[in-house]
Amino acid sequence: MVAKTKFTYPYESGWSNADELLLYLDTGSWRTIRPVVDKEKCTYCGLCALYCPPQCLLDKKDHFDANLEFCKGCGICAKECPRGAITMVPEG
Amino acid sequence: MVTTKRKGETRVITGNAVCAYSVMLCRPDVVALYPITPQTEVVEQLSRFKADGVIDAEMIEVEGENSAMNAVCAAACAGARAFTATSSYGLVYMYDAMLQTSGFRAPVVMANVNRETPGIHGVSCGQQDMISTRDSGWIQIIVENDQEIMDAMIMAFRLAEDNDILLPVMVNYDGYYLSYLAEAVEIPAQEDVDNFLAVLKTQPQRMTLKPGVSMGCGTHGILLPYTEMRYKHCAAMERAKAKFDQIDKEFGKAFGRSYGGQIEEYRTEGADIVIVTSGSAVGTARSVVDAKRAEGLKVGLIKLRMYRPFPREKLAKALKGKKAVGVLDRSVGFGWNAGPMYTEVRAISPEVGFVPMMSFIDGLANMDITVPNVARMIDDVSAAAQGKPYQETTWIPLEE
Repeated sequence: MVAKTKFTYPYESGWSNADELLLYLDTGSWRTIRPVVDKEKCTYCGLCALYCPPQCLLDKKDHFDANLEFCKGCGICAKECPRGAITMVPEG
Repeated sequence: MVTTKRKGETRVITGNAVCAYSVMLCRPDVVALYPITPQTEVVEQLSRFKADGVIDAEMIEVEGENSAMNAVCAAACAGARAFTATSSYGLVYMYDAMLQTSGFRAPVVMANVNRETPGIHGVSCGQQDMISTRDSGWIQIIVENDQEIMDAMIMAFRLAEDNDILLPVMVNYDGYYLSYLAEAVEIPAQEDVDNFLAVLKTQPQRMTLKPGVSMGCGTHGILLPYTEMRYKHCAAMERAKAKFDQIDKEFGKAFGRSYGGQIEEYRTEGADIVIVTSGSAVGTARSVVDAKRAEGLKVGLIKLRMYRPFPREKLAKALKGKKAVGVLDRSVGFGWNAGPMYTEVRAISPEVGFVPMMSFIDGLANMDITVPNVARMIDDVSAAAQGKPYQETTWIPLEE
């Protein structure tokens, strides 16, 4: 086999560091609607972050907010939020 | 490194019991098993070891083989030495988890007790099960007798967990013929097995899940990273060939038994024709080769010990210059009307030289691969070597 030594991916198999590499698909480009969090209503319960499929909700210490680079606009966070604090707003 | 061989003990013991005993000597951390004929005794024995307190492994009772494979895959990802065993229906039931395990590069060791596969309810010996998982990315080793089961399991852990390899290893032994066959087996001393596997502890630690560190395995992967991981997997497969040879040599030094690594050549020196086979059939083939040699026929035998990665370089070297080659398969290759191992041996024709290559299918579903059958095969190959017309594939039990 050709002795290839330079790889874009650092591990031998599909390991990912959730802090750095887990979010590397460009899922943000799929979005047509985005979540907008009402900080007044948010009780910082964290359910949105637990349900988020690409795990892109960022802990802002008193509330959560989506990382729009990876949020694909699925709306699950808005559906699951028990306080109705998340509204899905059309992009563009 | 072991330099002096300690006195082990010799026991008359079945193939399945040998497998369980060998696994116990390798001190696994996690064992997940689901019983299936003809592997069940492995489950019984390891469960007994656990009940008797002689094995310090976490035994996971699973509801099926798919769970068993997922459990040992996860355990290996967390850094455990993990073992499972299965056969036939069980093997194909865990197929997706097998792909996951090899894709994660989780160094699981599995014993597969060769048995025919679903379709025709074959509760009988055949290698079709392992052949069906050829492209699962696992290293596949095939052994000949009970002693080799003992030794190959130990070598399998060394190979799987080696930092250069990190691939799951499947050790195959023929169901019925070996699983229930009681033979005298030399059982190595625990201390020697510990020493033999100790080298793994000196290597850099492999990537594992760790508490408090947010790492995952097999999450996303498309496009270039996926291609790279496949490339790395294939590269590790290639490295496994020389590594297996090296481990076999070291095993020989430590325990006084070695098997030739990827292939064993038997009386191939000066042979005009060679037959290639694997598993329990090798014992019969050996005795027929001896008899034919005594009659003056220059015939040799190659025992295929490694099926994946395929030992193409060593085979090509061993077969180069021979006048004809016959391959005896205990399975079929659908869509080629030939044995699967035959098609792979034939694929190295450019390196071997274009000589008659013949496929023989025998031993399906517990049909005995007998001395007359192997003798007939050798006669056919010998006739082809002399330029007589020959047919590519012979289903030995169906021939007149």
